[in-house]
Amino acid sequence: MKPDLRVDIAGVTLKNPVTVASGTFGYGEEFADFIDLDALGGIVTKSITLKERAGHPPPRTCETAGGMLNAIGLANVGIERFIDEKIPFLKKLKTVIIVNVAGATVDEYVEVCRRLEKAGHFDMMELNVSCPNVDEGGMEFGVDEASITRVIRAVREVTSRPVIAKLSPNVTSIAQMAQAAKEGGAAAVSLINTLVGMAINVLDWRPRLSNGTGGLSGPAIKPVAVAMVHKVSRAVDIPIIGIGGIASAEDAVEFHLVGAHAVQIGTANFIDPGTSMSVIAGLEKYLAQRRLSSIYDIIGKARI
Amino acid sequence: MRKIVSQSCRIIENRRLDKTGLYRSLRVTDFKAARTVHPGQFVHIKVAGCMDPFFRRAFSIADYDPDQGELEIIYKVIGKGTGVLGQKTKGEYLDILGPLGSGFSRISKSKTVVIIAGGVGFPPLYFLAKRLVQSGHPARNILFFYGGRNRADLVEMKRTRDLGVELTPCTDDGSYAFSGFVTEAAAARMEKLEGKKTTICTCGPEPMLAVVQETARRMGFSGEMALEAPMPCGIGVCLGCIKPSLESPQKYVRVCHDGPVFELGEVKL
Repeated sequence: MKPDLRVDIAGVTLKNPVTVASGTFGYGEEFADFIDLDALGGIVTKSITLKERAGHPPPRTCETAGGMLNAIGLANVGIERFIDEKIPFLKKLKTVIIVNVAGATVDEYVEVCRRLEKAGHFDMMELNVSCPNVDEGGMEFGVDEASITRVIRAVREVTSRPVIAKLSPNVTSIAQMAQAAKEGGAAAVSLINTLVGMAINVLDWRPRLSNGTGGLSGPAIKPVAVAMVHKVSRAVDIPIIGIGGIASAEDAVEFHLVGAHAVQIGTANFIDPGTSMSVIAGLEKYLAQRRLSSIYDIIGKARI
Repeated sequence: MRKIVSQSCRIIENRRLDKTGLYRSLRVTDFKAARTVHPGQFVHIKVAGCMDPFFRRAFSIADYDPDQGELEIIYKVIGKGTGVLGQKTKGEYLDILGPLGSGFSRISKSKTVVIIAGGVGFPPLYFLAKRLVQSGHPARNILFFYGGRNRADLVEMKRTRDLGVELTPCTDDGSYAFSGFVTEAAAARMEKLEGKKTTICTCGPEPMLAVVQETARRMGFSGEMALEAPMPCGIGVCLGCIKPSLESPQKYVRVCHDGPVFELGEVKL
């Protein structure tokens, strides 16, 4: 018997727990040449802001041991072009569409979400309150409990769809941030966004990124992410979407075992666009080999 | 349409092309392209299986035989990725993703093609010249200018001449053939050509491309250039390999996905 990979996140059924992380999957269409998009549990779009953003000047990325730094600067087409040019493609897909939203002020988050809500054809919102790379990119919300609660509460006023809060690891207590998100009405939390990092070129003594610092991602951060998902799962009872260095089914299983209901594949999409497909196939095999009938049989089952 | 998936391909040759061994040709077999391969496109290669280096490395395609599934790249050993690649031997396998990016546009057989290659910009242009000749473009109307700092930078010249094209090697230090920048040799020849009946195809270091772009603009020639950039993803999503657009420098193009082949005048160099 085939194991049942379906999971429920805030009333939305994902056909499997494997989704793709914001900023690593464009607007979905970029991956159509490489994978069957309908096979995904869900797609999280690039962060959408009220106005179109060009992003930071190059260099924006650099490789590190087992990962990478990036400071893209929330480059995106803006909400109007997103609705006109990107939603028509996304709405044809048979997968859950999660639109990631970023803003400089509460009003901006609200305005983007209000226009999204009007346009429709998506399933959930993920609020980026954790971008480390732009002053107005949300992290000022994401490192302050009252602000997280406030922005989520405000967005909830204009949408009937579930709101996911994407949390930053660059805080003293991510569990408290998750509680604050829940308090504001978040239906789920996703974690972790990137860790603030820096790399210096020893030849010219300059930072390797134009922004100076950037966000660290990739397999190097996975243990940090697993620990944080574990911590948050003990603190809140809303679903958790685990993110951080997942490149294989075994990586995903680790996140599920510490309490993640779903996962997001991020940086690994850059190394192999087919990663999400192999994670889905591998998860199914993992469960089948152990005669487990459902993904729920491993969620939160780590022997800790 | 078939999906483009990463493939494990067996190396059948990884030979040095010059005395120093810095320039190399690597050929693999069993590369089954899910799309027609066009000169100017690239493949993204995982040079090591252990995440070090972490990103794939992009190499323009130097030759491809769809019947045999034989793919060739020509590269120069300059850093970590190419260093690892240079150590690979026949019989080992490489994880290859592609073909990726855009290729050079179709060129009318009635046009004269001025090819301007600088250093490691040579491979996609060799492939272009070969495909043009194969498709019946008169070889005498393909003028191949190939520049390097010195003689050691110029590889596979016999192979290029064997296509029947007019090859003009150039060396910055004058150690071989035309003494001076490849852009000077090409511009001198362009003086005698009509802009409307000519297409320029170029690839090489950015300062060289900037000169070609400016020369073409000044003399009224159009054409295309293939750009190079470090590419984390190679498929247009990470937004790491961007260049400012010439028209509005606040806007960026993605080298991997909007290019790597761009029209002259499109990108600010």
